[in-house]
Amino acid sequence: MRESWRRIWAVAANTFLEAVRQKVFSVLLIFALVLLGGANYFAEFSFQEQFKFLKDLGYAAISLTGLLVGLLGAAQLIPAEIERRTILTALCRPLRRWEFLAGKYLGLVSLLGVMLGIMGVVFWAILRWKEAQLIGTEGGDAMVAQAIQAEARDPRLWQAFVLILAKLFVVSVLAVFFSTMATSTTFVIAMTLMVYLIGHLQNVAREQWLESGEHVSRATQAFLAAVSLLVPDFSLYNLIDEIVAGNAVHWRATLEVVAYSGAYVGVLLAAAAWLFEGRDL
Amino acid sequence: MTPAVLALSLRKEFPLGWGRGRVLAVHGLDLEVKRGEVFGLLGPNGSGKSTVMKMILGLLRPTRGRAEVCGFRAGTLAARRQIGFLPENPYFPGFLTGAELIRYYGKLSGMGGRELEARVDQLLALVRLGGEAGRRCLRTYSKGMLQRAGLAGALVSDPEIIMLDEPTVGVDPAGSREIRDLIRELKERGKTVIFSSHLLEQVEDVADRVVILHRGEKLREGRLDELLTQTGEWQVRVKGLGSDQRRELQTWFRQHGAEVLAEGSPRERLEDYFLRSLPEKERR
Repeated sequence: MRESWRRIWAVAANTFLEAVRQKVFSVLLIFALVLLGGANYFAEFSFQEQFKFLKDLGYAAISLTGLLVGLLGAAQLIPAEIERRTILTALCRPLRRWEFLAGKYLGLVSLLGVMLGIMGVVFWAILRWKEAQLIGTEGGDAMVAQAIQAEARDPRLWQAFVLILAKLFVVSVLAVFFSTMATSTTFVIAMTLMVYLIGHLQNVAREQWLESGEHVSRATQAFLAAVSLLVPDFSLYNLIDEIVAGNAVHWRATLEVVAYSGAYVGVLLAAAAWLFEGRDL
Repeated sequence: MTPAVLALSLRKEFPLGWGRGRVLAVHGLDLEVKRGEVFGLLGPNGSGKSTVMKMILGLLRPTRGRAEVCGFRAGTLAARRQIGFLPENPYFPGFLTGAELIRYYGKLSGMGGRELEARVDQLLALVRLGGEAGRRCLRTYSKGMLQRAGLAGALVSDPEIIMLDEPTVGVDPAGSREIRDLIRELKERGKTVIFSSHLLEQVEDVADRVVILHRGEKLREGRLDELLTQTGEWQVRVKGLGSDQRRELQTWFRQHGAEVLAEGSPRERLEDYFLRSLPEKERR
């Protein structure tokens, strides 16, 4: 088992290194610039509106950047290795295919974790800078200063980050799953996006399936069952929107979503490994 | 002693997809590669050389038949521990340095620590990528340097069998000679080398035995000296003969019923001439 871990770690470290050296971090710079630019926009509005705007922009930028990196990165993990034939020089060694797949996924999620961590710190620093700026201009009154501080130091920021990360791990594992049976990156991206979109309606399909009676055809029932059982429920991550809207979200609910994401990632990785095992290279 | 590689009735079909049938790539191949020999897989493009290699490596599953590596079923971890492989036209991640590439392959083979570091230095020196070259990113390497780095990667775990798929393609004559010298060196160290090529004179240079494949079937197999020696003919190379003596010799041959098939001054091989023309330090 220890040897297995060493091999998985070697693949993960190489995947991470590849992404870092391919200038992925320039994306982070663009993110920081977008946020900095946005921070001073709408300066004529009230501080509550400014913070609301900043948080909307921040979470959207983080989600979108993470989604792009996760989707494009995961979609290329296996097809690019096959196209470049680097997979042959790796898998002809005493390395199990599931170890290779797990290493690749681990490398990608490590990259997502580091990227989101950096974006989170940048976002936090900008909120604190905005706090200092607003207290300087509007914070003469202690009550107002306290309200500004409460907006800027909202602990739910990290809760939202955990949820975004969990969502990205699920999107990435979907792309990894499709990439084990595809040779084209485009196919993987198209399939993942399709499941991603269907996943936002999974809860509706599940309700329809559970409530459907005799009046629904067998084919429709089968389709609804497949969507309910196989497609991840992306509506669960709407908690992020609740947090951005300023509503209270219990940590327990957050952890339940994280546990659901972990279970989904585990099951889909196992299915991907099974498919990859039988593939001719 | 178990053979290095044994293939029994190996067959591989590839589906063409969408109900268009299947293409037969390898047709019931029987093969035995002995330990310590240099074995050449010959054949035109599409003859099944790479497919056979991939089945031995476990990268492709045979449709029928089986392959063994040092007595282990092909594709198992135990079998793969015995093999180092360099694919045809390999691509290496340009973001890695030469040393990092070998280290990565070493880690995948279960190596680590000081043993791996010492091995990386040793291999970089062996393939002449030591010093500054080993610290450069692969994207700055020439084709020959990349091939040498790949070879070092194949050798990192000191495998019993080294499989090279078209190892000299795209490499200049000096690099190609170097790879063949390395193959000889590996043989001297008791390793088994299996390589494919369609550059026949290069195979002739290093192989002990060859198999000739055509459309997935075995046409010929045997030791090179047995296959190529023309037992009904005899040749001699001499120097210091004048034109009168040569004429006398021809007359003598005819009087004794022999037919002179060829005569004249021998030609040097172009590769030898080319390498001799290069400055001394660039020949290796």
